[in-house]
Amino acid sequence: MDYTFTKDQEMIRKSAREFFIKECPKDRVRELKDDPQAYDPLMWKKMVDLGFLGLIIPEMYGGMQGDLIELMIFTEELGRNLVPCPFFGTVVECTVPLLKFGTDPQKQKYLTGIAEKGAIWSLAQAEQVADFEAEDINLTAEADNGNFVLNGTKLFVPYAAEADFFIVAARTNKIGDPREGVTLFIVEAGAEGIGIEAMPTTARDCRGEVRFDGVRVTGDNVLGEQDQGWTILDTVLQHAAVFKAVEMSGGAQAVFDLTVNYARERKQFNKSIGSFQAVQHKLVDLLTLVDGLKYLVYEAAWHMNNGTSSRGLNSMAKVKANAVYHEVCHHGIVLHGAIGWTEEMDIGLYHIKTKAAQFDGGLSTLHLERIAAELEAYVPEYRKLYPG
Amino acid sequence: MNFLFGEKEERLRSEIREFVKENMPPDYIGNMFVEEESDEGWDFAMSMARKMAQKKWLVMSWPEEYGGMGASTWERVVLAEEAAYWGIPGLSMGISGTAWVGPTLMISGTKDQQDRFLPPIAAGEPDGVWCTGYSEPDAGSDLASLQTRAVRDGNEYIINGQKVWTSCAHLARWMWLICRTNSDAKKKHQGLSIFMVDMRSEGLTVNPLRNLVGGHVFNEVFFKDVRVPAENLVGRENEGWHQLMTALGFERGIAISFTASVRRKFDALVEYVKDAGLMSRPRVRAQLADLAVDIETARLLAYEPVCLAEEGIMNVHAASRDKANIDHLHEKLARVGTEILGAYSQLDYLHKDSKWTKLGGTFEHLYYYNVGMAIAAGTTYVQKNIVGQFGLQLPRSY
Repeated sequence: MDYTFTKDQEMIRKSAREFFIKECPKDRVRELKDDPQAYDPLMWKKMVDLGFLGLIIPEMYGGMQGDLIELMIFTEELGRNLVPCPFFGTVVECTVPLLKFGTDPQKQKYLTGIAEKGAIWSLAQAEQVADFEAEDINLTAEADNGNFVLNGTKLFVPYAAEADFFIVAARTNKIGDPREGVTLFIVEAGAEGIGIEAMPTTARDCRGEVRFDGVRVTGDNVLGEQDQGWTILDTVLQHAAVFKAVEMSGGAQAVFDLTVNYARERKQFNKSIGSFQAVQHKLVDLLTLVDGLKYLVYEAAWHMNNGTSSRGLNSMAKVKANAVYHEVCHHGIVLHGAIGWTEEMDIGLYHIKTKAAQFDGGLSTLHLERIAAELEAYVPEYRKLYPG
Repeated sequence: MNFLFGEKEERLRSEIREFVKENMPPDYIGNMFVEEESDEGWDFAMSMARKMAQKKWLVMSWPEEYGGMGASTWERVVLAEEAAYWGIPGLSMGISGTAWVGPTLMISGTKDQQDRFLPPIAAGEPDGVWCTGYSEPDAGSDLASLQTRAVRDGNEYIINGQKVWTSCAHLARWMWLICRTNSDAKKKHQGLSIFMVDMRSEGLTVNPLRNLVGGHVFNEVFFKDVRVPAENLVGRENEGWHQLMTALGFERGIAISFTASVRRKFDALVEYVKDAGLMSRPRVRAQLADLAVDIETARLLAYEPVCLAEEGIMNVHAASRDKANIDHLHEKLARVGTEILGAYSQLDYLHKDSKWTKLGGTFEHLYYYNVGMAIAAGTTYVQKNIVGQFGLQLPRSY
């Protein structure tokens, strides 16, 4: 057991933090709220130049060849500093499956574009129910002489209007288990037959509805095997759950720090409000939540990097993040008093992301069920010692 | 960063499990305070203490000259976890000997005190069983306002006063006692001293106090002109608060064991749910999954001060944070567990051998005893004061 980071890892944290503080102060975050692009292309370019987009991409494809611990550190800082940009969708939801399931030509072509040019990628998975279950995937892909024709509608697609490429989850077989018969396609955003409409989200994070109206995709743009896409989506969801939880943990730490600092400074009855026991005990509860989330996401990311991860642990990270992010934002604002409920204070910038963050990587209902399923199959230590 | 235990620790873990298999009844679930409550429980605890002493596990982190094995911090963590998970009783030798009397004496005791008091603790002997005299009727959370007095008389001190909520006083050979030696000190936490008192001393009376479910864990202890040799003073006169803070630091590092014992009860609950065919109920599934998250989180939090200490960083408030967190976790596990047991949770754990009792009565026990544990070693709310003041550097709130 060791919770410390190496010097190199600390350096990554330091450079990420300094970059975000310099390039994305909170006033910039406020401006981006009213910008339909919801990110800053110049800052994105700088992130590409510093190698951040190629963090986990091998050197042979122009990346930094970093590991998931480095991605974790970077993502935690991104969340702490609340940087609006398509990093999560591009790196976690699309680079990961390209790396793990792409063919060599696909990797050569697309990973290089992400690492070196900052191509924006977006996973188009959710449809009407939007719950990350296989039953929700009904967009059809009809085979046509080795090519495919896509028809259907995707919702809540990250940075839909800004994406260069989509990874589209489509149904290629409607018979039997809905998990069998899902295929993933790499689709250029400019392809004929694609229509995009912005969805008005509280987070102002450029999510959109993407309609596929007879969109033609060549067979070499299938990601993984035909009808075997659900396995890939499951891998993506586990990574998304863990790394969105990491991002939320960074955000929760920042919200907590804002709140404690405010409780120290704000005076009422000639005392700092942090001297009141009701305030203090709530802050201690929030500290416990934030500290606990931090170590739980570190553990999940560490095991993922180590090749020893479990579905249950990955789900735990997201369940905890979904709960803690809400708690710390809600009570952090109440502890601020009325000023916390205004646009003026930074804490609100974090809170407007709550619902989007809880959705990405899966809601708690889905993950609690996954944990329960793991418990169902689990043999406790005492049963190994004393077989029943 | 590493979230696995090393080979050495895992080897110790396997060794302890072998020991459990040889020496513990199968499917045993340890309950808090259960050792003190019955003669059979106490005899079992003392027999296990001796067996662990033979393995040098009882005080494994102590130097070899005092009966330990100079074990690493992480080995101690493994022992704490395993002992709690398997419910091996006796590791604390009453309430305090192995946990803080010994460690504090190694820091502040004289050579003579170390030679006299450490070996019986390390050997798991009845003479190494201790209780701790802190709380008084008017000094609970505000411990420094305590009134029991010790007055020097030649080579002795004469003690008068009363202690209360003294766990194990009815079983202990010695008491680790704090009392006032200077009533004129400027501040109330000055002028206090720690004494080691023979429980067989003349003028010392122990009265049992029964808790709300009839169990006998703690006592009240009266001192009427009790004479204690001056050589039993720990450290210097009037500097007892310092010893006490050192000792409390050892006492509050209990989250590791509690998380492991919670895990054992949770495992039993999951198995019960499966066997009873309740696993198909969505509410039960969600409750269990939710608890699993809390337990894993508590485990990782409890390791944090250990990790930091290995780096030379003392994180004093973390122990209080984790005590409060465990208090909440105990309450939640007890609530969910008894809800799942439903009607059966109303059975009296004192009749845990009844044919109707489920899971050895462990959830009925936990339901009532977690309340006591939320008070012992500093209530949940006192712990939160400590975290607020020392961890978050907020102004003192009381």
